[in-house]
Amino acid sequence: MSDCCTPRRPTGEPTPFERGAAEIATGRRALLGAAGGAIAFSTAALAGAPIADAAPGRGRRTAKRAYVLVIDGCLPEEIDGGLTPNLKKLRDGGLRFPQARSMPVMETIPNHVMMMTGVRPDRTGVPSNTIYDRKLKDVRTIERPSDIKVDTVIERMGRNGLRTGTVLSKDYLYGVFGGRATARWEPAPIIPISGHAPDVFTMRAALAMLDDVDPHLMFVNLGDIDRFGHTDVTGGVGIKALRRIALASTDALIGQFIGRLKSSGKWQDSIVVVLADHSMDWSLPHRVVSLAGPLDKDPFLRGKVQIACNGGADLLYWTGPRNQREKAIRRMRAVAERVEGVLVAHDRREPELRLGPEAGEVLVYCKAGWRFSDPDPVTDNPIPGNHGHPATHAIPFFIGGGHSAVPRRRASTRTARTIDVAPTVASFFGLSGAPRGGWDGVDLLA
Amino acid sequence: MSTPPPRALDRRAVLATGTAGTAGAVAVAVSGTRAAEAARPDRPRYFRHGIASGDPLPDRVVIWTRVTPTASSTPGSGKGPRVEVTWEVARDRGFTSIVNRGTFVTGPSRDHTVKLDVDGLRPATWYHYRFTYRGERSRVGRMRTAPAENASPGNLRFGVVSCANWQAGWFSAYRGLAERDDLHAVLHLGDYLYEYGPGKYGYGFNDRDIRTHDPRREMVSLEDYRRRHAQYKTDPDLQDAHAKFPWIITWDDHEVTNDQWARGAENHQPGREGDYLRRRARAHRAYDEWMPVRMNATAELGDGTRLYRRLRFGKLAEFSMLDLRTYRSMNVETLAPTPVPAIQAEVSDPDRTITGKAQMRWLKRSLSETDALWKVVGNPVMIAPITFVQVPGDLLGPINDVTGLLPSDGFPYNVDQWDGFTADRREIVQHIRDHQVQNALFVTGDIHSGWASDLPFDVGSYPLSGSAGVEFVCSSVTSNNLKDLIAAPRRTASLAVEAVIRLNNRHLKYLNFDDHGFSVLDLTAKRAQMDWYVIGDRADKNTSIRWSASYATKVGTNTVTQVSKPVR
Repeated sequence: MSDCCTPRRPTGEPTPFERGAAEIATGRRALLGAAGGAIAFSTAALAGAPIADAAPGRGRRTAKRAYVLVIDGCLPEEIDGGLTPNLKKLRDGGLRFPQARSMPVMETIPNHVMMMTGVRPDRTGVPSNTIYDRKLKDVRTIERPSDIKVDTVIERMGRNGLRTGTVLSKDYLYGVFGGRATARWEPAPIIPISGHAPDVFTMRAALAMLDDVDPHLMFVNLGDIDRFGHTDVTGGVGIKALRRIALASTDALIGQFIGRLKSSGKWQDSIVVVLADHSMDWSLPHRVVSLAGPLDKDPFLRGKVQIACNGGADLLYWTGPRNQREKAIRRMRAVAERVEGVLVAHDRREPELRLGPEAGEVLVYCKAGWRFSDPDPVTDNPIPGNHGHPATHAIPFFIGGGHSAVPRRRASTRTARTIDVAPTVASFFGLSGAPRGGWDGVDLLA
Repeated sequence: MSTPPPRALDRRAVLATGTAGTAGAVAVAVSGTRAAEAARPDRPRYFRHGIASGDPLPDRVVIWTRVTPTASSTPGSGKGPRVEVTWEVARDRGFTSIVNRGTFVTGPSRDHTVKLDVDGLRPATWYHYRFTYRGERSRVGRMRTAPAENASPGNLRFGVVSCANWQAGWFSAYRGLAERDDLHAVLHLGDYLYEYGPGKYGYGFNDRDIRTHDPRREMVSLEDYRRRHAQYKTDPDLQDAHAKFPWIITWDDHEVTNDQWARGAENHQPGREGDYLRRRARAHRAYDEWMPVRMNATAELGDGTRLYRRLRFGKLAEFSMLDLRTYRSMNVETLAPTPVPAIQAEVSDPDRTITGKAQMRWLKRSLSETDALWKVVGNPVMIAPITFVQVPGDLLGPINDVTGLLPSDGFPYNVDQWDGFTADRREIVQHIRDHQVQNALFVTGDIHSGWASDLPFDVGSYPLSGSAGVEFVCSSVTSNNLKDLIAAPRRTASLAVEAVIRLNNRHLKYLNFDDHGFSVLDLTAKRAQMDWYVIGDRADKNTSIRWSASYATKVGTNTVTQVSKPVR
């Protein structure tokens, strides 16, 4: 049994954490102890040197700091729910974007990648959590460093002599961002089924990195709100008991982080970008969409369609003859849109989607309160909380911090998107230039 | 809104009197008109019906007036010459900085109304306008263009009104709006005028006419509609409010007749009043002539009657003004009149509609395809469910599979609202949920009372099911409300009814069944707030106006909370 957020990888392929361990074991990355050795960071360069000197390059000096904290899967209205006083205070004291959006497909990996690249999936090569890999001829999670096809702001900062750090609680995020940062947290402990480190450990690592590495840019993923949301069986009836516990707990940790920034004197030089990668929608057990059966019933499509299930979105891949592709797209959309619970089936090439060929031929969204379970309608994706569909595109997004670049107590009508993070950070540090082809996002502090 | 059946007068008697008594009606109306105009500091000879502006866009605003070139060119008369009127728009009240001017030819074919779109204007800018005919200048009007499409205004503030019945009293609520300087526009949500003849639907329990309608009969003919529009436009408070701000207006039922729907109306008897669609066409023609609105997106006459439209105010708000009468199915016939809860499951028949298919598609796009922060819906009748004995939606399906007896959202007390068309409402809230639309804000009239409510996804399981948006409902300018209909003192008998309704509708946060007045809607990027101002006695032309209550919704929350003071 698997859910749409559990990594799918070919049999025998090492997990990202296993790959990381191997890198360390073979000397390609150096393990740097922190917090008395209880927390491990690794770096690709200057093994054995003091962590704070680990940044390569020209040693550019600036007191500015940027912290990007991703409260994975959080809904915008949850900040006003009374459980998150620290987040609310941070939001209300700085610049908030009430109209903020996750970008298609509203999944964790593509949106984290968009945050750090500032460009859309047709350029990053990362459209969703799970794709059908045509070379591999199998469905897999995007979790290899080579899956990101473009430059990230992490690398851009490194080239400018600025230290960066990643504190990513989920195995596939750890995997896809690989060794790009100056310092990388080696997550522990990992919950076996969810494949993520609980927020209390993630935050300990973030605080340790603050003290020991002091990166100019730190990118943190706090996964509990999302993970508890996925499995919260009370979500479908609106109670969200587990989720509420996670919200309160994660908020307290954010409070610790802000407190440390202030007590260490970093606050006045900092921007703190807080956002979610997507929000969350809950379904009841009987609200399940499975396209495998209907597609297989169609004589033209039978056996020639692969499905990459992404919770609230299915990606359909035509594997039949190339010259029948257009007909197949029409047929797949028609079949999908007749299935109860389907919201819409898009031709992946629709310009506003900005999804590349990695996303297949057809993108199918489910309605709110439903989820996909493909290819097996019984065993695949039994979890109630899902995202990926339009019902999960609204996110909290705000910028706090004591730096003078942050407007005080302001709300913006601008539609902020996950792709805006990288250009905002790049501009804050005064990094020249832009990715080839320009940013797709904008500087939100401009 | 649905008006109660006549009590003191037999409906046939009213109609007969109205038809036979035309000459007398004119005499009374002229007298009333003179009285109103005598109160004005300047008594215009040619511009007796004031001026108005409306439908502001970033680069254009509709301006309007009516010229009376000869004594015989009275509204609806079809008499008088074709004449040329000059119009001017300036940045300043003294017209030293004129930005646009021109002439407009009008005549009896359009009841001597003047209506045009003035373009070439700058966004978010106050302008002044006036008309000139034979050396006489109209009063000066003031209007403001909408912000540029990508602008982020700090706030937007609107007066909100509905349900102004001439016979039920003085338009002090309009006076309250005209006395303010802080509004960007006025939002009128329908029942701008009423169709009834004298003695029907007047002031209070006995339907006393504080002022008498002209013509002295129910309006049915084109002449009737024109004269009634003209009469309302002589009200000094209405004239002042029109002159002070641009208006954004939609209609409800009484602009044609009570409880109108796509092919008929409660207050239309084909045997005596002819074909309904012809009557409606006359009403729409007069409306197009006399109101500063764009129909079919233009200020031209006769090019269509589509009134539902969008008006964008930068990135802060987009207004979608609805027409919930022209395309709707007939109301469900109930066993007992409002407010007795209806038990008919037909209110949930998916083949019935309040919007019509095209407007439904348009409204869904309005909600999910705009990048404006507040998706404001100018909504003639209430959308929040006000019902009894609600069952959670997930249980209702199986029950109805067996019985088919239950309305989707409980037993409604008023089937003239969206409660009478629950399939359409479900389609809207499901669309909001499917696309995670945020900050949908329904601003509503019709019901002659003040309400503030969340909009549940599923009323039977609220608040667990969450909210799709919020709704603010303004009270009436003069039309009777509950205390008037039951002849009870203010804040007495109504309190019990309000308590029962609130107890049965957990999403409802504010209800005032007793007061008349206007509201002020203020939008910022952090919250939307509605203030309710109430007037004293409608029969007193100089009655007092006071603030009554304020409720707000914080951005992103889709819930309503009380706030302690009005916006300043």
